[in-house]
Amino acid sequence: MVSRRRVMKIGAATVAGALVNRPVPGRNPAPAYSAFQRAVFDERFAQCRAFAAELNSAGVLTSAIRGDVAELWYGDLRALMSGNRLAVAGLTDRVSLFCLEELARDVGMRVIFRAEHIIDREQDGHARHSAVGSASLVVVARSLPPEDDFGLAMARLFRRFDLSEARDSAAQKRTGPFSPKNKTALVSWIIA
Amino acid sequence: MVLPPNVSEADFNAALDEFRSAVGPAWVFSSDEDVALYRDSYSIYWGEPEERVASAAVAPAKVEEVQQIVRAANRYGIPLYPISTGRNLTYGGSAPNMRGSVVVDLKRMNRILEVDEKRAFALVEPGVSCFDLYHYIRDRNLKLMLDVPDPGWGSPMGNSLDHGAGYTMAAFRDHFAAHCGMEVVTPEGDVIRTGMGAVPNADTWQDFHYGAGPNVDGLFAQSNFGIVTKMGFWLMPMPEAFLTGTVTAPRFRDLDALVQEVSYLEDLGLTGMPQYGSPAGQAALGPGAGAMASLMQNGWPSTEAVENFVTAQKRPAWSVQLYFYGPEETVRGTWQAARRRFGKAIAGATFQDGEFLTLPIPKEKEPTQSDKPRLGIPALEVFNMVARNPQTADDPSDGHADLFITIPRKASALWESARVLYEAHREAGMPARQSPFATPFTYYSRCFWTGTTVPTWRDPAKNARSRALFQKVMERCAEHGWVGYRTNPAFQDLLISKYSFNNNSLLRFQEKLKDAIDPNGIISPGRYGIWPAKMRKNRV
Repeated sequence: MVSRRRVMKIGAATVAGALVNRPVPGRNPAPAYSAFQRAVFDERFAQCRAFAAELNSAGVLTSAIRGDVAELWYGDLRALMSGNRLAVAGLTDRVSLFCLEELARDVGMRVIFRAEHIIDREQDGHARHSAVGSASLVVVARSLPPEDDFGLAMARLFRRFDLSEARDSAAQKRTGPFSPKNKTALVSWIIA
Repeated sequence: MVLPPNVSEADFNAALDEFRSAVGPAWVFSSDEDVALYRDSYSIYWGEPEERVASAAVAPAKVEEVQQIVRAANRYGIPLYPISTGRNLTYGGSAPNMRGSVVVDLKRMNRILEVDEKRAFALVEPGVSCFDLYHYIRDRNLKLMLDVPDPGWGSPMGNSLDHGAGYTMAAFRDHFAAHCGMEVVTPEGDVIRTGMGAVPNADTWQDFHYGAGPNVDGLFAQSNFGIVTKMGFWLMPMPEAFLTGTVTAPRFRDLDALVQEVSYLEDLGLTGMPQYGSPAGQAALGPGAGAMASLMQNGWPSTEAVENFVTAQKRPAWSVQLYFYGPEETVRGTWQAARRRFGKAIAGATFQDGEFLTLPIPKEKEPTQSDKPRLGIPALEVFNMVARNPQTADDPSDGHADLFITIPRKASALWESARVLYEAHREAGMPARQSPFATPFTYYSRCFWTGTTVPTWRDPAKNARSRALFQKVMERCAEHGWVGYRTNPAFQDLLISKYSFNNNSLLRFQEKLKDAIDPNGIISPGRYGIWPAKMRKNRV
């Protein structure tokens, strides 16, 4: 599996190398607020790309992966999270979240929310959603329709998320890295 | 909140206060959600009372802080469980060996103290990951190659102390054998250095293993006699070139000759870790899966039936991929000599030239490089390969516990162990995936490893079945003298009970050492069956 990462810069307003949230004036349809210093997405999946585009438009730096988080983590994410411990959001497959969750222990951070989107490749790609963790997100994520563009929906949900919301440790270490046969298990998640 | 066994809440809190004084309040973790970070993601006791969960964690940044922690633990009888990066999943990960232990997380001790290019060694602290050391070497353009395990997110130290292994030449992929010198905080808080490290002003700590007198380094691997805080490693000089070649052998019975010739190359130090395969057996897992089912439908097949199966598959029974490291003239010459020898030993052997690379791999080409660990490049891609296994069930497991046994390096042992593994699965009422086409793991050059992977779950009922299978397989294999070289904490007592020569005299000796070195039994109680005197009744 090829591993690579790209950081999508936030227009001309972004200073190269700056790793903080920077809203882009005049471009954001929603309030230019985000709780997240970074959003991670797996560029192989359309839902993940839509998720990233939406958060990017809200001023969140986004990092693309292709199933392997090693270069991202050891490249800059570990140092970044170790330095400021600001939350990171993502929409990836199970295995990427599994690895990031294990790695995040080194910076004292944990998964506080996860929504699983199990896509049945044999049934028109319809997704079945489940969620655990931060209550305000769980309610909405669980009710997403199966045919929805859940990537976009989750990004919009995350844009409104208040990190001061009470945490639920039930979101930690829920599953292993493996996906069900003939299905794609994508996960929306927050590590904080 | 989980407390250490036989420790009052008051004493536990007093100990935590002393830990905070030693390392600073920010580096003692006792909230439920912080402690949960240290749960073993692959636990075979997930959510059950027997799950090995920590009571707290403490993260020192220097040796003196480790000493202070150890001394405080002695005062209050607190069991400690040191981890380097704690990522050896299937062998317990970051969770302690005994429920209620305080994890000593050495992640902040992450300095690369020295890398000497000319003398080809590194000296590192426990929290240095393989990625960290790799990047350090690459970024400085040092002409050295790491030998890394797969996945590579663990530490050289932790992998070595757990007798882990990699993929390059035998002298380097046995990670404990490739270490040279260590520093250890003893259970009573003293600091020792082994080998030449014990000599003031000696500049040979990472050059000469032994020093004078008994060599004690082995006491600190897979054990509980101290907390290792520094460790040296011999590194492979960066080879100029890398070449692979594949040999196939047509008949099932050719495996014996194939193993003989591969072993010859291995023992002369001419190839890296060989990768055995079975084209005939592998084909039968794909479109030919029905053929394999037919072969196995009446139980373990006869050799004649297996030979007929191979003939029908129209593919070679066996293959082995060889990996050559060195100057271009040498690797090409070795491959040529290997072809000559295999051709003479195995009628109908075929040869396929593989990849040729000049080393080091440029940084920009790393991402597209296949089989990175063979090139000393750490990776996490193995998780992707496993996660996308087409055989993954509708209800995939959450992890696994590996049961690898050590068998002699010969075809007959491989075949016999495959049959025993197959029968043990059937006796346990579990699906048996073993076939006569089992191929060995060759991490350690002088023996084969084979075995099985048992699924673990978040579901206690399923885990109970997995534990029963694990025990069944371990018991049946032990009857033949085939036992594991390491195992999940849940099975360490059982494993060590199989090392039973002369009424378990080896374990009794280790326990005498334990009682002398760690009289309060604070370091990793029960690790690999070594319990302190006060806890021996806990032995499973």
